[in-house]
Amino acid sequence: MNAVKIAVRIAVRIGGAGLVLLLAAACTAPAPPRGEAGTPAGTACAPPQGPPEPETPTTIDVVEQAYFCVPGTPELLTAGFAALVRRLNRDGRDLPEAAMPALTGDRAADWAAFETRFRAIGDRLPARREELAAAVLEGMVAALGGHARWERRPRVPPDHHDGDGYGLGLRTSDPALPPLFVTAVDGGPARAAGLRPGDVVESADGEIDAVYPDARPVRLRLLRPDTGRRWSVTLTPGVYPRDPAGLRVVRAELLGDVVHVRMTGFPPGAADRALRAVARLRAGRTAAGVVLDLRGNGGGSSAEATRLLSAFVHGAVTAYLCAPDGACESDWTDDTVALLGLPLVVLVDHGCAAACEHVASAVRDLRAGPLVGTRTAGAVPGASRQVLLRDNTVLSLPTRHHLGPGREVVDGIGVPPDHHVPPTARDAAAGRDLALDRALTLLHQ
Amino acid sequence: MRRLLAAAILAATTLVTTGLTACSAPEPPRAAASSAAPAGPVTLPAPTGGRPVGSTVLHLTDASRPDPWDESMRARELRVTLWYPAEKRGGPPAPYMSPEEAELLLAGSGLAVTRAETLSGTRTHSVRDAGPAGRGLPLVVLSPGFTKPASTLTSLAEDLASRGYAVAAIDHTHESHATTLADGRVAGCLACDFSDDPGFRAGLVQGRAADVSFVLDRLAATYPGLIDLGRTGMAGQSIGGAAAVAAMVADPRVRAGIDLDGTTHARVPARGLSRPFLFLGTPEHVPGGPDHSWDRDWKALTGWRRWLVVAGAEHQTFTDIPLLADAIGLDPLPGMLPAARGAELTRAYVAAFFDLHLRGRRQPLLDGPSPRHPEVTFGPQ
Repeated sequence: MNAVKIAVRIAVRIGGAGLVLLLAAACTAPAPPRGEAGTPAGTACAPPQGPPEPETPTTIDVVEQAYFCVPGTPELLTAGFAALVRRLNRDGRDLPEAAMPALTGDRAADWAAFETRFRAIGDRLPARREELAAAVLEGMVAALGGHARWERRPRVPPDHHDGDGYGLGLRTSDPALPPLFVTAVDGGPARAAGLRPGDVVESADGEIDAVYPDARPVRLRLLRPDTGRRWSVTLTPGVYPRDPAGLRVVRAELLGDVVHVRMTGFPPGAADRALRAVARLRAGRTAAGVVLDLRGNGGGSSAEATRLLSAFVHGAVTAYLCAPDGACESDWTDDTVALLGLPLVVLVDHGCAAACEHVASAVRDLRAGPLVGTRTAGAVPGASRQVLLRDNTVLSLPTRHHLGPGREVVDGIGVPPDHHVPPTARDAAAGRDLALDRALTLLHQ
Repeated sequence: MRRLLAAAILAATTLVTTGLTACSAPEPPRAAASSAAPAGPVTLPAPTGGRPVGSTVLHLTDASRPDPWDESMRARELRVTLWYPAEKRGGPPAPYMSPEEAELLLAGSGLAVTRAETLSGTRTHSVRDAGPAGRGLPLVVLSPGFTKPASTLTSLAEDLASRGYAVAAIDHTHESHATTLADGRVAGCLACDFSDDPGFRAGLVQGRAADVSFVLDRLAATYPGLIDLGRTGMAGQSIGGAAAVAAMVADPRVRAGIDLDGTTHARVPARGLSRPFLFLGTPEHVPGGPDHSWDRDWKALTGWRRWLVVAGAEHQTFTDIPLLADAIGLDPLPGMLPAARGAELTRAYVAAFFDLHLRGRRQPLLDGPSPRHPEVTFGPQ
C-alpha cells in the first residue's frame, strides 16, 4: 500500500460557476471485494485501467452492473425507482407502468423484477431510456450515502474555448452564512448586467451555480449596500471567457517580504509547483513567511496534500484512514521533502474541501501555523474504491474514512480557523481582503 | 526500442490533437545506447530559393510586462532568431542549437541525451551574422510548438529567407525545454508546470500574441530599412499555430497567418477575422474530426481561407523533427510521409501562401488539388 491513501475524485467548480473540472487523483484501488451473494456470473466490479475511454450511453445494463457492485438492500432499488418517478413527474409525464414491483429480499430476483418494470416504462418512452436509466443510477448512488459518487465527465458546450466558464459568471459567499453576496464577477451575464462584488443577493429563483447544459434563467433580487439601491435582474447561464491568469491552480506573489501562494486544488504535481514558486520568490531575499491561501481549494490528491505539509512538518502523521472495523492506516509526512524553514499562515474558507481539509486539519493539529478565515467545508471523502462501469463512467465507493492527526472527524464538521475572519459584503465591495491582512499581520508579529 | 519510441511520439501526437497538449508526454523509454550504429549529424535540406541566407540572434527585453511563468522576473526576456537573404555566399554555417540546449531538449522529451552532440551538430544553410541584402523585405514570424525551441523550424525559416523573406522565429522563454538568454543562462520549461491548468492554452497563446507584438515593435525600430512591417505574416506549429490566430486577433499588423496542425484557442471576435488564414494539418485535423477547434474557427474566418490536410503527415511533419529522427533515435511512424517530402510540402505551401498574400503573386498551388502534390487535399471552401 503506497502513501496515497485518500483517493479523491472531487469535482471542483472552477471559479464557482464554471465548468466542472474533475481532478482525477491518484488512487489506490484495492481489489474490490467479490460481489454480494446473488451476483450474476461475469458482472465486473473492476477499477478503471489506463486512460478513460469515451463515455457511451447509460443503459439499464449499466445500472445492473452498478447494483451488483454495491452492498445491496431493497431500499436501493426503491430509491432508484423513486428517482425515476421524480424525473417522469418533473416533465409532466406519468405512466401506469411506473409502480414499484414487489420485492422479496432476493437480490437477483428483485433486480429482475425491477428491470422488467423499467423496460416496460422504457418501451413507452424509447427516446428517454438513457436519461431515465441515468436518473435511476443517480437515485441509487444518492441512497448509498456517505461519499459514494457516480462520476461522469462534464459535458462541454460545443463552441467553448479553453478556460471558458459556464453559468451566470459570478461567485458568491457561503450560503450558510447569510447574507449571501457576490464575491467575484468573472464575466458573462453577471458582468454584462453590471453586478459587482459586494452586491447582496436577497433572493434567487433558480440555480446560481448552473452547470451545463442547464440554461434556465435565474431572477436575482439585489441590494447594493453602498448606495442602498435595490433592483432585479434575470440572468441566463451561458458560456463566457475568463481571464486565464486567474485560472492557474498554483499562483505565487511577493507581498512585501511575504510569499503568498494560492492553490485552488491539489492536482498531481501541485505541491512541488508551489514549493518551486516559493523558492523562486525567496531567492536572494529574506522572506518573513508564507501565506498558504487555500480558500476555494476543492481538493485533489491527498499525496499532494501530504507532500505540501512535509515542507513545514517532519516526522508526523498528517491523517488517518480508518476502515469500518476501526483499523486505521497512518499517513506520515514525507521527510525527504526539504523543510522551508519559514513561518506559515494558512487561509481557509467554506470552499476548502477534501485534500484541502487534510492540510487544514494537519496544520491545526500539528501546530504548523495559524489558520485564518472561516470553517472549512467538512467534506472529506476518505479513501474509496473505483468501479469502471460499462458506459466508461466510474462508480466511486468509500472504503475508509478520514481522521485528522488528533483522530478527530473532519467530514461533516470542517476545520475551524484559529482566527475567525469572515468576509463581508462591504469588504468585498471595497476590494478589501481582511483575512489576508490578518495573515500578514500575524507573520509580522 | 526504436518502435517504442515511435509509439511515444504517436502518444504525444494524439494528446496534442485531442487538445491535451501534454507538457511531457508519457515518459517514453530511454533510447540509451541501444542502436547499433548511431547516425551522425544531419544536414538540413538545402533552401530552394535563390538567395544565400544569413541569420542572427537577438535578445530582446520587454520591460513593460513581467514574465508570465517566472513570478520573480519583472520583465519578459525573449530570444529571436532572424533569418534573411545574405549579401554573399560562403562562411561557416550557423549553429543549430547549443549542446546544452540539445541535451535539455532531449532530456525534456524523454530521449537519450547521448545524442545531444549529434543534435546540436545539425548542419544549417545560413551564415551567422552575414551581411543582409535587400530592402523592404516581407516578414514572416514563426512560433514553435510547446516545449520546442524555435530552431526546430529552421528548415522552413531558411527556405523562406532564401526566397527573399525576413523570418523572425521567437523562442518564447519558459515555453521550451531550453532557451539560452542574453546572460548565458539557459531557461527551462516553467510553463510545463502549468500545462494541465484550465485556461492554460488560452493564456499561453495570449502571451505569445504579446510576444509577437513586442517583437514587431523592436524589429521595426531595429531594421527600418531591411524589413517592411507593412507586409508581415505569421506561421506556427502546434500551439505556435494557435498563437498565429491569437496574434492576428490582437495585432492588425499581422496580415496573414498559417496554423500548422495546432488546436486553436484564441477567441475570434464576433465580427470574424477577415485577413487571410491557412489551416495546414494532419489527417487528425480533417473537418468534423476529433478536434472541434478548427471547425469552430473556420466559421469565423471571413476572408481568404484554406483548409488543407496532408495525407501521411504527423504532428511534427511541419518541423525539423522528422528530418532529425535518425540522429536523435526516433523511428518514423508506420505509413508516415518521408521526412524530406514532409519538409518539401511544408515549404511549398507556406511559401505559396505568403507569396500570394504578402507579395501579391498568384499561386495556382492554392487554388485546388495539384497532381504534383497528391498528398494534399482541400477541405471546405
